[in-house]
Amino acid sequence: MSTNTPEEGGRLDRDKLFAARLHAARARPYLATALFALHTVESKQVPTMAVDRHWRCYVSPAFVDRMPVEELAGVWVHEVSHLLRDHHGRGDRVARERGLTGVGDRLRMNIAADCEINDDVYGDGLVAPEGAVRPWRLRLPEGQLMEEYLSGISFGPLTLDLSWLDCGSGADGLERAWDLGSDGADGLSEQERDAVRFRVAQGIKAHPGDTPQGWRRWAEDAFHPPQPWRDLLGAALRSAVSGSGAGDDYSYGRPSRRSAGVPGTVLPSLRRRPPRVCVIIDTSGSVSDGELGSALLEVAAISHAVGGRRDLVNVLSCDAAAGVVSPLCRAEGIPLVGGGGTDLRTGFEKALRSRPRPDVVVALTDGQTPWPSARPSCRTVIGLFPRPGRSRARRENNPEYVPDSPPAWARVVEIG
Amino acid sequence: MPMTAPAPLSQLDVAADLLTLLRDSTTEPRPDSQLEALTLAVAADLPVLLWGEPGIGKTAALTQLAAALDLPLTTVIASVHEPSDFSGLPVVGDDPATQGVPMAPPDWAVRLVRAGRGLLFLDELSTAPPAVQAALLRLVLERRIGALRLPPGVRIVAAANPRSSAADGWELSPPLANRFVHLQWTHDHETVVRGLGGTWPRATLPQLDPRKLPEAVDFARRAVCGLLAARPTLVHRLPTNETGRGGPWPSPRSWDMTLSLIAFATAAGSARDVLSSLVRGTVGDGPGLELLASLDRLDLPDPEDVLADPAGAVLPERGDLRQAVLDGVVAAVRARPDRARWDSAWAVLVRALETGAPDLVVVPATTLASLRQQDWDVPAAIERLAGTVALSRRADRAAVASKARR
Repeated sequence: MSTNTPEEGGRLDRDKLFAARLHAARARPYLATALFALHTVESKQVPTMAVDRHWRCYVSPAFVDRMPVEELAGVWVHEVSHLLRDHHGRGDRVARERGLTGVGDRLRMNIAADCEINDDVYGDGLVAPEGAVRPWRLRLPEGQLMEEYLSGISFGPLTLDLSWLDCGSGADGLERAWDLGSDGADGLSEQERDAVRFRVAQGIKAHPGDTPQGWRRWAEDAFHPPQPWRDLLGAALRSAVSGSGAGDDYSYGRPSRRSAGVPGTVLPSLRRRPPRVCVIIDTSGSVSDGELGSALLEVAAISHAVGGRRDLVNVLSCDAAAGVVSPLCRAEGIPLVGGGGTDLRTGFEKALRSRPRPDVVVALTDGQTPWPSARPSCRTVIGLFPRPGRSRARRENNPEYVPDSPPAWARVVEIG
Repeated sequence: MPMTAPAPLSQLDVAADLLTLLRDSTTEPRPDSQLEALTLAVAADLPVLLWGEPGIGKTAALTQLAAALDLPLTTVIASVHEPSDFSGLPVVGDDPATQGVPMAPPDWAVRLVRAGRGLLFLDELSTAPPAVQAALLRLVLERRIGALRLPPGVRIVAAANPRSSAADGWELSPPLANRFVHLQWTHDHETVVRGLGGTWPRATLPQLDPRKLPEAVDFARRAVCGLLAARPTLVHRLPTNETGRGGPWPSPRSWDMTLSLIAFATAAGSARDVLSSLVRGTVGDGPGLELLASLDRLDLPDPEDVLADPAGAVLPERGDLRQAVLDGVVAAVRARPDRARWDSAWAVLVRALETGAPDLVVVPATTLASLRQQDWDVPAAIERLAGTVALSRRADRAAVASKARR
């Protein structure tokens, strides 16, 4: 092993580079798999260090020479974070959705991705490299995602000194001149990339105590990105109203019109029975009007899409006592009375007693309520507003109070 | 007397010429991993469910698959049929009380059974009313249409729109989802543009190699049993959250399907990416990725082989895999320490140092050094590992420096 000095034709100081990686892997053991999976490529075209989407890491020898080992370790973690967090894939998606085509847009993506990484990877044994982009430098809040930062970044005096920034195609999805491409040697295939990300995520989930919040959140979502609640609520509601006994279905109640053409056979015919939906709204004061309004509109829109009519959606406000069932077509004037404690059991009772009976009951609540002990006689969807802080406050005030979790017989969708 | 004038060229004939020109396209061979995955699943005779937005080319893919497997294609658009088309039309006979009411099958089913072979494509499963879906599922899973039973030569593929775009939002209940191989069908931008320009891709489909069959079965059994023996909780895990509903999940049934798929992919020599989409589409992402990770480990050289022949050992290029091998070698020495094995492990580390990144060798070298017993002399090879000690010290100094700079 010989140590190379820059005078010897500017060759890469591998010892320094790999000592930095060793330090990075010791400081962040949960990223060791990913750090070691990177394939290093020496390149004089790269300004600093850059990654491509095939997990190659391009390194400039001059950059390695001028950086101290401890800062170089920070750069290693920074670059591997781009890959673990799939910034190139997310960059491509954002570019498609928002119609971003220019090179400048990709640079903004790189800056936004750097902001997402840099606000929580350094510290705790790892030094931030000189000139690392921090959200506060761009007057942006900390703890956001690349997509959120992107809309807040525009070129101007704040970003003037960032135009040299280049973390490679792995950070923003735009191919660079030095990229070896998908056919080049020693890249990781898509399956291998997934396997490495999976192993890192598993490691973080196994020892959540040692890892910062940002990485834990990443590990939770790495393979199950959170779905928008509208889609989930829609799917739950649609499957509830299109189940047997509601909506369109075949019935032998009247013979099919095709029967005439096939003498001697008995055919069922399609009959339409629009689904009736009853929405129970928790008005115990803990749910904001804005949240309720958007969830209620969503329920109405979905039930309209499956063939229901606005007058078949009923609304019932409920705190400790149930209000009056009123159809949604008069919803503008529905008095959402309440504000006390919650007991949705009375709401369920009242909804099921209403005539005609609903096919589906949708309960919009923060979950701080006792639930019916037995499965109601119709399908149930629960839209749950998450309230982590509130539940703790309540428990502290009244230690005996234990809110029941939503029952297993209902489809539960977290809203918001 | 009739007038004879030159017949004007009919507009329809001109239109026909234009259509011929439009359809004049060529094909080019191009690897297509989603079509390869579909072909393997169909060859393995497992019910496949293609999830894809409408108009994305699922039908075109099925046409190509039918041609490749040399099977006549029967397409049934589920949403325009009635349940009795699949469960059989009840025909009232002379004496229903004694003879019963036979359930007459539709004509396409009769033709399929008579032919004895074919590819049945059930399109638009998700837009059919629930009663039709119920009848169809019996067809897919039990292969029965009324009184007929589909012969083994008939393969079935179904297609559905994803939940978010399905108009009346049908979704699979967990027991049904468990019976399908779920394949996500997406379009490749480049392929579509090139295809519309006149050159469609012609996928080279996987060929099963008859010589590889016993080896493939052996490999598949080792892979699945090895994982499930070590991770018993992966055997059966019902989806609990709303996001995972309607998708693949692990159960003994889906693990059995996975086993067949691994065997088929191995016999066809398919790439890992193809196997990845099949396995993840059968047991779900998490268990699927764990299986693939354990397959990666099966591919690694056996530590005992490496110890037996340090000079000839082939260490993986990828750093994380290389470190796994080195850790395995050191662990093997720790399990059965003797002088010769210890020396041999040093030779392996020197080889790793000469062929790859030095930081990977630090931890195994430290552990191996700690295994030394009193009467063992330090091997000459250790001299060549002095660099890693320096490297390790340099990293230590960086750690101290990082603390100082906070």
